[in-house]
Amino acid sequence: MSIVDERPTAEADEPEEPTNRPEPSYRLREWLSRPYVRHILILFVILTLAVIPAAWLVLHFMNLSGAPASAVMYEIERTMFVFTLASAPVMAITAAILLYSLLGWGRVRGEEPPMQESPAIRSNPIAIVGWISATSLLAAFLVIWGLVELANITALSNGTTSANEQPNTAKPLDINVTGQQWVWTFEYPDQQSITSDVLVVPIDVPLYFNVTSKDVIHNFWVVELGVKIDANPGAITNTGVTPNKLGNFNIRCAELCGLHHAYMETQIKVVTQDQFDAWVREMGGKKFV
Amino acid sequence: MSTDVILTTDIHEQMGVPQPRQRGKAGGFLRHTNVLTGSALGIILSVVTYAIGSKLVPWGTQNEDYSQVGLNALVGATYVAWVIGFMIGIGAFAGPVRWMMGHDITHDDSEYLAGKGQGKWKYWKYTTDHKVVGLQYLVMALVLLGFGGFFAMLIRTELGVTWSEVFDPNFYNSIVGTHGIVMIIAMIIVIAGPLGNFIMPLMIGARDMAFPRLNALSFWLLFAAVPPLLSNLLLGGIRDGWTVYQPLGTQAPIGMIGYQICIITFAFSTGIAGVNLITTIVTMRARGMTWNRVPIFVIGILAAAIMGLVWFPMFQYSQVLAFSDKVVGSSFFIPQEGGSVWLYENLFWLLGHPEVYVILVPAMAGLLELMVVFLRKPLFSYKVAVAGIAGIVGLSSVVWVHHMYLTGWAPSAGYPFMLSTELISIPFGFLVLVMLGTMWRGKVWSRLPMMTVYAVLWCNIIGGITGVYLSDVPVDQYMHGSMFVVAHFHFMLMGVGLFGAIGTITYWFPKMTGKMLNERIGSIGFWVAFFGFQVTFGSMFIAGLQGQPRRVLQFDNAFEISNWISTIGAYTIGVGMLIFLYAIITSWRIGTIAPANPWGSKTLEWQTETPVPLDNFPVLPVVTSDPYGYGVPDPYDAIERKMTDENVKVGA
Repeated sequence: MSIVDERPTAEADEPEEPTNRPEPSYRLREWLSRPYVRHILILFVILTLAVIPAAWLVLHFMNLSGAPASAVMYEIERTMFVFTLASAPVMAITAAILLYSLLGWGRVRGEEPPMQESPAIRSNPIAIVGWISATSLLAAFLVIWGLVELANITALSNGTTSANEQPNTAKPLDINVTGQQWVWTFEYPDQQSITSDVLVVPIDVPLYFNVTSKDVIHNFWVVELGVKIDANPGAITNTGVTPNKLGNFNIRCAELCGLHHAYMETQIKVVTQDQFDAWVREMGGKKFV
Repeated sequence: MSTDVILTTDIHEQMGVPQPRQRGKAGGFLRHTNVLTGSALGIILSVVTYAIGSKLVPWGTQNEDYSQVGLNALVGATYVAWVIGFMIGIGAFAGPVRWMMGHDITHDDSEYLAGKGQGKWKYWKYTTDHKVVGLQYLVMALVLLGFGGFFAMLIRTELGVTWSEVFDPNFYNSIVGTHGIVMIIAMIIVIAGPLGNFIMPLMIGARDMAFPRLNALSFWLLFAAVPPLLSNLLLGGIRDGWTVYQPLGTQAPIGMIGYQICIITFAFSTGIAGVNLITTIVTMRARGMTWNRVPIFVIGILAAAIMGLVWFPMFQYSQVLAFSDKVVGSSFFIPQEGGSVWLYENLFWLLGHPEVYVILVPAMAGLLELMVVFLRKPLFSYKVAVAGIAGIVGLSSVVWVHHMYLTGWAPSAGYPFMLSTELISIPFGFLVLVMLGTMWRGKVWSRLPMMTVYAVLWCNIIGGITGVYLSDVPVDQYMHGSMFVVAHFHFMLMGVGLFGAIGTITYWFPKMTGKMLNERIGSIGFWVAFFGFQVTFGSMFIAGLQGQPRRVLQFDNAFEISNWISTIGAYTIGVGMLIFLYAIITSWRIGTIAPANPWGSKTLEWQTETPVPLDNFPVLPVVTSDPYGYGVPDPYDAIERKMTDENVKVGA
């Protein structure tokens, strides 16, 4: 944009639409025969293949401490896995063009602006339409996947379906979870309201959490079971899960709740039904039916 | 003689329009005010307020709640007195007072206010020239980034030393919160402040901003807002993260009052700056600069100003209500007394999310603006870029609930807000397309600003993809509140926002300072920081995947290794940033003199001389095309045209 610009306007530059252009298939083949197109496509394939193992790597890190210990967590990990695979081509095409621009189309060094100019490509309808449709389709896929999975894990959390998607008939175990600065308290209302600071639960029984807080906002996070919900003062929030793996897992607070937020953690012990009943008796409660 | 050189004053003279009478020396009261008088009056007024207030506060009452409220009110009044005193002392109210006295401002007064003939001293005064305000913003942004970076180093020190507590929990939580909010403020102003004020009016061929005195007001309000924020560390700290969720915030020590006064004041500053930027862009473009000839960076600034203007009041209002909870004992956010914690979260995130795009959009637009120069190519599809920015502005207003998926507030809201959040990746993808299309087949002139484009694009890939994970409610059920989120938003805010700011500021550095940046040292600093950045936050992703919550000072042994790596990376960033800062400071002081147009750019700001004269342009420019007329005809087009002429048919 110079102060006085004597170049012809862009409109005048546009050539008239030729009537005898080569056929599209020939033009595509000609485009594909260009060296930079080939190089970028090769790079794209290599990078896509390089990113795909990341999907397993993600699961590896998530599973280090024993996850998935519930169907909900399994669904979460599956979503991570699918999203990583779906994003691999987007990542690869962007990175391929980035790398090729950096290394392939040539570089100029020096203090003065280069005299040699690059091709004046102002637009390319095929590229624009292609990019927008590809990203929109991908986004549509992610949205639909997300909505379906959200409905799935909501049903699993509420205990209305079991892991094999059958209507769940097992009687859920109610647990009142109370956060306060900086401990968790678990109360079993159906077991004569015994309370504990460690969450002991039987395997394969749907758990139903009524979560609240005595002071500030906490976040009840059962890490390996994929349960997370805020504990709000003055309100009860609900969520649920069915543990399907024996063992000890972590419960952490995932919302900054004051000075000793970092130490507000405890454990969930998933045990067999017999062990659970024994524990309830030991705590002075009645057998769970 | 062209019509452009007839000045308004000439026309007035010819037509006999009466001019305001000059009373005394030009500038009047403002001749005596500067940052020192402002600070002095601010301190005096706040000390007086504290002294009088402490006599009035009923310390002797038996009710503990009441005495806490009294103390909060006293500290609040003291901070407000500082802000008002500072603004009086620097002369912010001289204009309105002059009007009330019936004195109009004269031409000489205006020139004095714009800093004519005051040398370096004008940077310490209530100066209206947009170039002065731009540089003031630049230095302020660098200072804030320095503070924020220093706090980040402290945080990483604590997290790297896994075997003991370096800081006590109160101090650690306070620096986490202060790092967050200082960096957010710095990132909001780092492009829209220096470049929006200094470069944007030049880019559209204007002589100044639309409201020069509001421009000065917006900067000095920001200046007044910073001491209350930083002083929180001396008054018990803000130990609640930068979000300061309620009711945790009501438990905080009196340092919290500093945070609230800072946000309330800063929101006025951004609102005023937003109005100014929008009005300037809409009304003061050069003749011939129709909307499809506006440089894309100006569109980016416009978008940021609109989002800031519309959404910042939400944040401000949330802090006004929280302040009221602290100082008069109301209960907007105290559930035990009928308040709602979810109301605070909604008000907060109504700005909290658009603010991310206030940071990202100018950075991306600025990079688009500069990459055409280094590739010697036109911008690929200006219209797609504008559509992307417009899409982001539109959708950014309906995504805030994705920060609240797991709060228990309206679980069904997860469905629509997951939809809107994933949709916003499409317009953001437009900007990536424009970047890639502009790179396509371009020969790169490898200078530092262009190299930052590659760095930012890389961070965009990582940050964008991890953002898509987090927009998904099921994934969020694992990731929310974990280190994964921290790594993601640092990739966006630092990887795209800050590195983008480094790119744009190095690009416009010669025009702003009149000196060339020492690119050798600058590049070393930048790449060291970039490398450290990948290490720090790459490793933090792994800690997040393993399940480390954010904002903790101690954690399971399982997270030790990734935290050690993160800390080493963070120190590397620190070293890189110090090297880069050294390059900026030395180049600014003793760098080589920059020519008017060192990059051979076609936008208007490079067509005027360096240093830019007070009136910007000797003759106001007339624009006849968009600024992207680089490049030569595509050789492949010639081949195709030849084939067309010969009517090649293959396989026929």
